[in-house]
Amino acid sequence: MKRLLLAIPVLFGVSVLVFAMIRLIPGCPAVAMAGVHADAQFIEQVRRDLGLDRSLPAQYGMFLGDLLRGELGRSTFSGRPVLRELAERFPRTGELTLASMGVATAVGVAAGIVSSTRRNSPVDNLGMVVALVGVAMPVFWLGLMLQLLFSVQLGWFPATGRGTLTHLVLPALTLGAASAGIVARMTRSSMLEVLRQDFIVTARSKGLAERVVVYRHALKNAMIPVVTIVGLQVGTLLGGAVLTETVFAWPGLGRLLVGAILARDYPVIQGGVLLLTVTFVAVNLAVDLLYVHLDPRIRYVSRGGES
Amino acid sequence: MVKRFFLAGMVMLVVAALALSGCPRAPARPAQDLVIAMGVEPESLDPIRMSSSPAATVSRHVTETLIYLDVDGSLRPSLAESWEASADNLVWTLRLRRGVEFHDGTPFDAEAAKFNLERFLDPTKRAPFRFLIDRIVRVEAADPHTLRLHLNAPFAPLPSHLSHAFIGMVSPASVRALAADAVVEAPVGTGPFIFDEWARGERIVLRRNPDYWGDAPTIDTVTFRFVPEDASRLVMLETGEAHAIMRVPPKDVPRLQGDAEIQVVKENSVRVIYIGFNTQVPPFNDRRVRQALNHAIDKQAIVDTILAGAGSVSTAPVVPAVFGYHTVGPYPYDPARARQLLAEAGIPRGFKATLHHPTGRYMMDVTIVEAIQGMLREVGVEVELVTMEWAAYLAFLRVPPADAKHQMFMLGWGCVTLDADYGIFPLLHSSQWPPAGWGVSYFKNDLADALMDQARTTPDRAQRQTLYRDALAVIWEAAPWIFLHNEVQINAVRANVQGLIHHPLENIFAWNARIE
Repeated sequence: MKRLLLAIPVLFGVSVLVFAMIRLIPGCPAVAMAGVHADAQFIEQVRRDLGLDRSLPAQYGMFLGDLLRGELGRSTFSGRPVLRELAERFPRTGELTLASMGVATAVGVAAGIVSSTRRNSPVDNLGMVVALVGVAMPVFWLGLMLQLLFSVQLGWFPATGRGTLTHLVLPALTLGAASAGIVARMTRSSMLEVLRQDFIVTARSKGLAERVVVYRHALKNAMIPVVTIVGLQVGTLLGGAVLTETVFAWPGLGRLLVGAILARDYPVIQGGVLLLTVTFVAVNLAVDLLYVHLDPRIRYVSRGGES
Repeated sequence: MVKRFFLAGMVMLVVAALALSGCPRAPARPAQDLVIAMGVEPESLDPIRMSSSPAATVSRHVTETLIYLDVDGSLRPSLAESWEASADNLVWTLRLRRGVEFHDGTPFDAEAAKFNLERFLDPTKRAPFRFLIDRIVRVEAADPHTLRLHLNAPFAPLPSHLSHAFIGMVSPASVRALAADAVVEAPVGTGPFIFDEWARGERIVLRRNPDYWGDAPTIDTVTFRFVPEDASRLVMLETGEAHAIMRVPPKDVPRLQGDAEIQVVKENSVRVIYIGFNTQVPPFNDRRVRQALNHAIDKQAIVDTILAGAGSVSTAPVVPAVFGYHTVGPYPYDPARARQLLAEAGIPRGFKATLHHPTGRYMMDVTIVEAIQGMLREVGVEVELVTMEWAAYLAFLRVPPADAKHQMFMLGWGCVTLDADYGIFPLLHSSQWPPAGWGVSYFKNDLADALMDQARTTPDRAQRQTLYRDALAVIWEAAPWIFLHNEVQINAVRANVQGLIHHPLENIFAWNARIE
């Protein structure tokens, strides 16, 4: 409960930041919309529609008031309700983020376990080099390379668009690669740490099979930092989705936001960034709660002085 | 155990899905489903919201205008069969085509046209391109097939302006069915294609209108896919995911030309690219300085090397396709002459200045200003380049002269009506200084003003031609800009697709297309 309440000031802060940031960027929505063809009358009307002729505090008051009533306004660009724009796009980005999180977790944890159990072997070294490359590769470039290889040369997967599972493969790999690398490295070091501890030695001395030791005893304990990293990666993935969506023409929130920023579509930018923040806060809240499951010693109770 | 079966099942499902979707079909006749990939998604398909050429491209297939502007720049009958001005030039009478129906069965008549024009003109609707026809003060449906437009001042370019894709006719019944503040999302027009689906961020699908009043299309559907990344559109064309792609970067043309299955199409655009001067501040208030800088730039080299031939050197402030165009240039590349003119202006050692420019807005814009910087250095002019993001850039430029911080700036202007009035009046008539318009060169030339005024009020087309010839010559001599080049748009099409129309307004039209 306390953690939920803590999210409120975070969201409030974000609303102030988002509001201030987009008004600090130079550029007027009306001019951005009609470009060089905008005439003076049109610019004045749009400014009035958006309340840009009022003071900043008054504008923020309006924005917050609308927000509390669940009213996000209309896109100045398309004229459609922001809520609908977001509702169409967010699930698409969610789909992509989940898939790449799946890639990152599956590949990363597997590689990390293998590396840690065969520490300093060629397999370990190779795995960690690949992980490093995965982290270092620019998303944009990786996406284009995968397209050239799997779409143009081999013809296995479609290069762009959304629809079937095959459409999801390349974008998910592209977006998940960096996170997979990070997860792999984190899993490895965390596993090595745990494998050195007394209870593992005890387990081994009881004559338990190595598999049981690794998967039942070590892995579960090693998972806490890994889960934290995966949770934090959600933010990275949501951000990285912008580039991936551009390369693969994926109809997600990232592309909507890029377009909105270029068009100075204030209502859409505000709504979109808030939605992303809420998602990020929610995921990390879920991660906190997952700790309890992984380690019964962690408990969130409000007792005097302890929490 | 159960878990393992479940997993195996999932794996099999995935494999099956992969196999099925990868399986090529072999129809007897090629499916007539055309796919066109473009970089930018339309912001809307509602006439009162549209503002970009991608929106115009899609909209034209569904929603028709009263007058059609053909690829050669001529005005052709569309929903109006003829049009003429009254003796005092204040009333235009349009005869409308009979027997045309909207896709929902509503008849197209003078009342429907009136409904659309009034909606477009309604100031509370905030149509960005309302200015095109804002001289209309009253729309009158004289009889079911006669429309009268009453103006507050003579305005000769009106027919050209009515041809603009954004002034399309949608079914009044379909608009009345919408909520008060809703916008048209599924336009119901009279065009050769019927709106089918818009998956936001992904595609718009249109299907053939078998009852079209003209020749119905051969293809069954046309799908516009929105793919922002240039390289990804190229890949789509190579894999056959798209039949045609728009806006190919010049550097990728050789790669496509090496592919026998692909045809590269270069079509003149209506956009001129120029470097404007703030003609109110020294040294740019001296005509000789402005002319000197025109001589200092090797325009042909920019077109040949930077644009790889995808352009042509400007020979007037508007492109040749525009009504009213006359060849008045170019300024020959002549650095010696440039130095001489600077010396005559009293600055033989040159000067320093700033050049503001956008990035990624025009073809190779940054590379071009860098080349200009180098060429100007040759004649002693040291320019500092300042890059700005598009929306910020427009706001920076569009200020009254007293607040202006720009000296030189790169801008492009698409004369979207293909009538010289729109090509020069908003930029170079002295009534158009901000905040009124886009006269950010703060150019004032009484002779040019008078000629432009006369040309926009004289209905006779031959007379207008002469007036524009003179106006363009005066402007050219006064050199408010460094006249650079006309852009060329590059599209690419798979060889088995015939009949696509590549329009200078940066549109592709598919109503005559077929897939072989």
